[in-house]
Amino acid sequence: MLQALGLSHSFGDRQALAGVDMTVRPGILTGLLGPNGAGKTTLMRAMLGVIQPDAGTVSQDGHPVTFQQRQRWGYMPQERGLYPAMPAGEQLVYMARLHGLSRQDAHSRARALLDELGLGDRWADRTDKLSGGMQQRLQLGAALVHDPDVIVLDEPFAGLDPVAVDDLSRTLNDRLQSGRTVVLSSHQLDLVQDLCEQIVMIDHGRTVLEGSVATLRAQSGRRQLRLGLAPDAPRDWLDRFGDVRTVEDLADGVRLDLPPQVDPLAVLDAARTAGPVTDFGLDLPTLSQLFLAAVDDGEVERTSAGAR
Amino acid sequence: MMDGGTWWSGTLLVAGRSLVEGVSSRSWRVVTALMLLLGLAVVVVPRLVGEQDVTYRLATVGETDAGLAAPLQAAAGAGGFEVDFAVVADADAAEQAVREGDVDVAVAGTGADTTLYVRSDNFSTFPALVSQAVLAQTTTASLADAGLSPAQITAIQATPPPEQVSVGRVADEGRAAVGFVVGIILYLALILTGTSIAAAVALEKSTRISEVLLAVLRPTQLLVGTVLGVGALGLTQIAAIAVPAGIGVATGTDLDLPSSATGDIVLGVAWFVLGLLLYAFVFAALATLVEKVTEVNTATLPVNVVLIGSYVLAVTVTVRDPNSWASVASSLFPLSAPLVMPVRWASGLVPVWQLALAMGLVAATAVGLALLASRIYARGLTLSGRRVRLRELLTD
Repeated sequence: MLQALGLSHSFGDRQALAGVDMTVRPGILTGLLGPNGAGKTTLMRAMLGVIQPDAGTVSQDGHPVTFQQRQRWGYMPQERGLYPAMPAGEQLVYMARLHGLSRQDAHSRARALLDELGLGDRWADRTDKLSGGMQQRLQLGAALVHDPDVIVLDEPFAGLDPVAVDDLSRTLNDRLQSGRTVVLSSHQLDLVQDLCEQIVMIDHGRTVLEGSVATLRAQSGRRQLRLGLAPDAPRDWLDRFGDVRTVEDLADGVRLDLPPQVDPLAVLDAARTAGPVTDFGLDLPTLSQLFLAAVDDGEVERTSAGAR
Repeated sequence: MMDGGTWWSGTLLVAGRSLVEGVSSRSWRVVTALMLLLGLAVVVVPRLVGEQDVTYRLATVGETDAGLAAPLQAAAGAGGFEVDFAVVADADAAEQAVREGDVDVAVAGTGADTTLYVRSDNFSTFPALVSQAVLAQTTTASLADAGLSPAQITAIQATPPPEQVSVGRVADEGRAAVGFVVGIILYLALILTGTSIAAAVALEKSTRISEVLLAVLRPTQLLVGTVLGVGALGLTQIAAIAVPAGIGVATGTDLDLPSSATGDIVLGVAWFVLGLLLYAFVFAALATLVEKVTEVNTATLPVNVVLIGSYVLAVTVTVRDPNSWASVASSLFPLSAPLVMPVRWASGLVPVWQLALAMGLVAATAVGLALLASRIYARGLTLSGRRVRLRELLTD
């Protein structure tokens, strides 16, 4: 298990991390989410040891991470990260050898990985002669070539088409199946909500939300019930549910905001008793909605703390 | 913590990569080939030119006297030229032959009535040699007439001329010229290698490769590896010119250089290594201030100014006056010594202790600068998204 506790870091007078916490478990794809400038990249760099945080610890299985352990990590930065003039195959061999593989192992691993990534016939091609999509795959290869225990990817989905997103998540899932620890960052909250099992949301260098995607969405207390009703059906049955707020009222149906204590099935039953229900559905909030809600709460907390 | 073996294996991987990339680049190959050609040219060209023997032609009225021919032949053997003798009918013919350029010098008459015909544009030493030979011949005749034995005459003529000591600002003009050339090549090689190091660092930072590398390597491994790899490329170029030139001078060229000039060339290579250690880490550290590769020249301007300033001082002031206070001071001051001292040393007038002091000071300064540079480098590499100011990295 990989854990960051109370990481703080400042660049000059700009504080990038303000005591952020994050836990990543093996075998569970974990997303580090937040808007641009939230501190995601800085958090990843601090975990990787690229920068030394001003405060806080990074631990693996309960012990502070050592340089030797980090040799078994793989990192893909947000942009480029490859030598333009170097042949694709050599690029992977070099990265593998830096991580301690022998020349022979490095070659066979690089060969196998290029095949897996569909770049098998590009071994001798200069990196800057490859297409953008190929370079992205090669960059992923550079992070995976030494078969790392921990894989850290910064914005891996940025600029990928849907097919490439699918390929990438399949490649990562193979690693997760064999018990690797994978954490990726993204500012596209709703794209990763279907890919990641676990998320950590940060804003202004602080953790604002952490947990499993399914649980967070189900327990958010911000569920919406969508009901299709007969035209001009009465709405008076709704009065029994005082806590339920009508978000949208159309001729052929309503959208209702359900507080946590209200059972959606009870509302559905009441509607059916009053008249025919043509369509229904329970919508969980999206990650962006959860993020906005969490940030709002945070603002309120911070404001009230400041007033005290 | 990592042990030394691990540190070196990672560092050597970095160095090896830089080396391979450099060797496979076209610009490195072209420059190295040029250096090699230049080094060979120093040896081969003077030999080709030197093979054209100088032949002087002397005309005499009537058969050339053996008393005149013998000393000239002896001088020819020692001076590396040949003398051809021609016979003309009379003094008018002798003058005519010189005027036409058929011969270089013509002699008419005997004893005190001897006339030497020389073209007005002949500035060689040959007329003086002929004049001397004529004089010797006349003196011998006078001494014999005065009743001296041939043995006595020989003894008188064997009196050696006074020893001639040439007094100049340098011990040997040829050797000083070698120093001048060593200075030019050192300057070019240091600037070229330093700029290559800076470019390599700037590329790694701007492409964010440094991020990936710093996740697996210590900053010092990356820094030392890059300096070693690119430095080895520079050293190869220096060797390409210095080895043929050094061997050529040592085995004797027709350039008329003392063999101590080979020592100056070897010392030049040593100064390249010292200079590289002094400047390379600074080049690397300054290159981390950039955000884009194109900013690298601006970022490395401070160290370039030091190099250019030292070089200009060496080839203007030190070459002309190696023992002026400016030359002495700048050849001992560690930041300018790698370019000034090799030029000054070739003057032959530098005490060995000054050379040793300059080398010691440069080595000590190099260690200090490298430590400071590695701090700047480690922090500069991780500050991205904008141009970094040096002051930010030096404070706190």
